[in-house]
Amino acid sequence: MEYAYVNARIRAMKSRLLDRSLLEQFINKPDLDSLIAELEKTAYREEMEKAGILFSGITRIEVAIRKDLIRSFRAILNFIKGEDAETLLTIILHRWDIQNIKTILRGKKIQASPSEIFECLIPAGELDEAALTELVKQPDVKAVIDLLATWGFVYARPLTLNFKEFSETRDMLVLEYALDTFYYEDALSVVKSDESEDARILKRMIITEIDVNNIKTVLRVIRDRIDREEARRYFIRGSTEFDEEKLLSLMKAGTIEGVLKKLEQTPYQFLTKVPPEYVAVEKISAFEKELENYLVKKAISQFLGDPLSIAIPIAYIWAKYTEVTNIRVIARCKAAGMSEQDLREALISV
Amino acid sequence: MVVDFGIPIGAGIAFGLGALGTGIAQSKIGAAGAGTIAEKPETFGLMIILVAIPETLVILGFVVASMIMIMLV
Repeated sequence: MEYAYVNARIRAMKSRLLDRSLLEQFINKPDLDSLIAELEKTAYREEMEKAGILFSGITRIEVAIRKDLIRSFRAILNFIKGEDAETLLTIILHRWDIQNIKTILRGKKIQASPSEIFECLIPAGELDEAALTELVKQPDVKAVIDLLATWGFVYARPLTLNFKEFSETRDMLVLEYALDTFYYEDALSVVKSDESEDARILKRMIITEIDVNNIKTVLRVIRDRIDREEARRYFIRGSTEFDEEKLLSLMKAGTIEGVLKKLEQTPYQFLTKVPPEYVAVEKISAFEKELENYLVKKAISQFLGDPLSIAIPIAYIWAKYTEVTNIRVIARCKAAGMSEQDLREALISV
Repeated sequence: MVVDFGIPIGAGIAFGLGALGTGIAQSKIGAAGAGTIAEKPETFGLMIILVAIPETLVILGFVVASMIMIMLV
């Protein structure tokens, strides 16, 4: 595929992303109204004005940034329509489908209201706003899965296959794991059958995601003292860096400190810098945050990769997602009156 | 008069390869430039300059070809 035109457009779109100093200004705003006023001076102006007709306050921000994100991602897909890269990029966008389905299923399990669930969704994948609105309206988990199956949505398959086990155990992990496994296996099968440099770039990203998920699983399993054999089934296979054997050897460490020691010689040695007080109380969320930041940084660093490859669209998608997530976090923290320190901790730092 | 055909062929190669190089470079820069202008119309002037830069290759080829052809005179 000829990337010169597409990547030049994406790089121009990247130049409209908000820089760190603007985010700092958002953080320093005293309230939601001043944050809205500041957002109206940025590239979000058009969507903010449109959203302002029907909504106010935090809903206005949520709607505007959501629409802007969808518009950006749809624009990229239009640039590469009909090209091989479309298949590869769709794999990345399916990541948000998986995230959205998980959010809806979790919401339905705890019987959250449709509007509450919808606020947490990012309609960046194949499931657009209309489809997600329909899904959140369903009364329970089974109805959501049935609707996905009726639409012939590919990710309904792992859910249907594992619903029996979920209904017996009421453990959401069963469905979430099934979704993740299906997604990563499907993604790896596509990139492995493709010999192109683009597929190799995407494969590296997918493997990093698998590793990050598996390390999170190892840490959770150790914290929750789950039996090693049972934990084994929650590993996502396909990584070349951390295969099952290596993950089991990590688990053998038995403690968080032990795992960190074993990770010292790997690209994940940054986890050893997590404050010891978090290690002592086994606060896994601190490690998860670091791992998420690593994943985002690695994805965004693709901007420095081959300028005439899929690296640039991948980096942009992640950079845009990070920006939208950070604006969302700032807006919600301002609305909830949270302290600046808590706000900064909640941000994705790049 | 006996004409050494190697001279005009050499001049042709010097000019032709320069033109080919310019074409390849301009195709890439032109595509990227079009993409940039689509998103940022204010960069139009800069893009014209960037697209014109590979012209130096074909000009150089032309100069070399001319110098070779002078040998025929």
